[in-house]
Amino acid sequence: MTKPKRRKNNAGVRVNGNGPSVTREPDSWKKQKLAEIHQALNSDPVDIETLRRAAASKGGLLIDELRRKVWPKLLNVNVYDLPHKPGRDVRENHKDYNQVLLDVRRSMKRFPKGMPATERAVLQEQLIDIILEVLKHSPQLHYYQGYHDVAVTLLLLVGERRAIAMLHTLSNHHLRDFMDPTMDSTKHILNYLMPIIEQVDTELHDFMIRAEVGTIFALSWLITWYGHVLSEFRHTLRLYDFFLASHPLMPIYLAAAIVLHREKEVKRTECDMAMVHHLLSRIPQDLPYELLIGRSQALFDQYPPSLLAKRAALQSHKSLSISTFQSFQLSTLHQRPDSVLQRLTKARGSSASRHDHRHPGLEAALSRDRGLLLGQGNRMVKMAVWGLSATLGAAVFAVAQTAMDWGPEMLFQLF
Amino acid sequence: MAEVESSVEFSSSLTSSTLPPPRTRIFKIIVIGDSGVGKTCLTYRFCAGKFPEKTEATIGVDFRERLVEIDGEKIKIQLWDTAGQERFRKSMVQHYYRNVHAVVFVYDVTSAASFRSLPAWIEECKQHALGTEVPRILVGNKCDLQDSIQVGTDVAQQFADAHSMPLFETSAKNPTNQGDGSYGRGNSDHVEAIFMTVAHKLKSQKPLVLSQPPGGPGGPGGTVTLGRARDDGGDGARSWGCSSC
Repeated sequence: MTKPKRRKNNAGVRVNGNGPSVTREPDSWKKQKLAEIHQALNSDPVDIETLRRAAASKGGLLIDELRRKVWPKLLNVNVYDLPHKPGRDVRENHKDYNQVLLDVRRSMKRFPKGMPATERAVLQEQLIDIILEVLKHSPQLHYYQGYHDVAVTLLLLVGERRAIAMLHTLSNHHLRDFMDPTMDSTKHILNYLMPIIEQVDTELHDFMIRAEVGTIFALSWLITWYGHVLSEFRHTLRLYDFFLASHPLMPIYLAAAIVLHREKEVKRTECDMAMVHHLLSRIPQDLPYELLIGRSQALFDQYPPSLLAKRAALQSHKSLSISTFQSFQLSTLHQRPDSVLQRLTKARGSSASRHDHRHPGLEAALSRDRGLLLGQGNRMVKMAVWGLSATLGAAVFAVAQTAMDWGPEMLFQLF
Repeated sequence: MAEVESSVEFSSSLTSSTLPPPRTRIFKIIVIGDSGVGKTCLTYRFCAGKFPEKTEATIGVDFRERLVEIDGEKIKIQLWDTAGQERFRKSMVQHYYRNVHAVVFVYDVTSAASFRSLPAWIEECKQHALGTEVPRILVGNKCDLQDSIQVGTDVAQQFADAHSMPLFETSAKNPTNQGDGSYGRGNSDHVEAIFMTVAHKLKSQKPLVLSQPPGGPGGPGGTVTLGRARDDGGDGARSWGCSSC
């Protein structure tokens, strides 16, 4: 008789092995960082700057439980106002359906080793649905092979409905250039790679130019945020922490940091397209990620895209990811903490169900508040809404706050 | 578990100590065709000698190579495995059409759509100056899936003849005539024989670019000695350019 124990261990979306490293006597810096992140999450408005810094700095967001809370904030997603699960019709008559099906069905490697095949199959079907749902919602977006690698990372960490909301935002911002009808914009983004390398190591740059290696070796890195090439899921998650908190061009700066890190290896290689392409496209699995993340951040600060664009005549091409980035970042500044969002959702739900006429302005205010969350309102309205929320739900707030302190995971499962 | 990314198929010639001997000729072959027809599996089968357990979508271009020996000459066969999705071929893969010595068009015998795409792929090659003067072959893959065949041999052969290409039908998964004694269908070609036929063809042509500098000792294992044309498919593989079945 076989014990059903293993199966039980694999249940749920426990995808990452980084839990124990934290529970096992966390270093004091980790403790402090965890506290800082929690504090930033509970600030009102959410302290998005601190969250961004935490996501980029050493260790990133540290544990999956925190990632599940912080990732939506980094993308201005309200987890209490999520899109519904896709219906059956999502698969009907979509031009990319066959390609998505093909790519997802063979993307077995993205799922945790040891996950039962039946469980994986369920997730694969969800993956197909969430991709098609996002594409259907935004007809200007075109599927590319590799998009599924981004989607699966989100799905495995945050689950179906949050993944849809996050993927929607990502696709319209960070990934937007890759989703044009053609890959010309993607090519344009890749064109930033060599100028960065040139700034740091002219010799390496010239070697690569002589080899005519091109930049396609970094294509899958860029458009999948390295999800396609890393075999350890925890590394992918760490990089996603970083990229979700950074400029859309950051994956290119990381690519430059990786190539520069391998400078000696590259120069030792025969100066030939095939050889250099082969060497670079095989990403070593034991890269010092923390170091390289720090370096790409430093490269970005020292050689920002605007500077490179001037030097390398890259400006001619209009990038939607870059041009919308500032307004995207602004839109993330006015988010309410989850405890408040949850309360607002509850209040909205109860006022609707009880036909409560005591606060006729509530629904309007709340819908305005939702508008604010999308970065469309003004400061005065926001203040008014906060005042209203505070008087309405002080008691609920206290209870929710306590509950959040006790067991935020438990609360999550309730909703 | 065999993973395509782990470069087992690559005969570790990245360090100077294992560079092939002086004047190793390199045959650069590009493999193209629709998404999911099995380009990665075919190239992996040839370079690593086995069917990969898990393959994923190829993003951009993958590179595999293998050192073979033909009539006493060591030759490096470089296979450029390309992404099948249309958006990649338009602006990404062009770079890799340069200096290509031969083209392998792949379709899936169980997918009529992949067969119907072939004219577009042929046109794509022409735009990159890879016309009839460059050896080209047509490979119908997955012929082990006999119950689902949508593209008959006769139709494929007519198409191949019209475009002056030899046709091969094979399965990267279950190539027949394996040395392991497994039984296979008589009409199926061996993956190895297919690529070796291309290599033979290239070798018999005018001298190609020599791009390997003089260097260390011969390559490691993985060298294949192919003294004479093989019996299975090596016999010109139903003609090169003219029809004879």
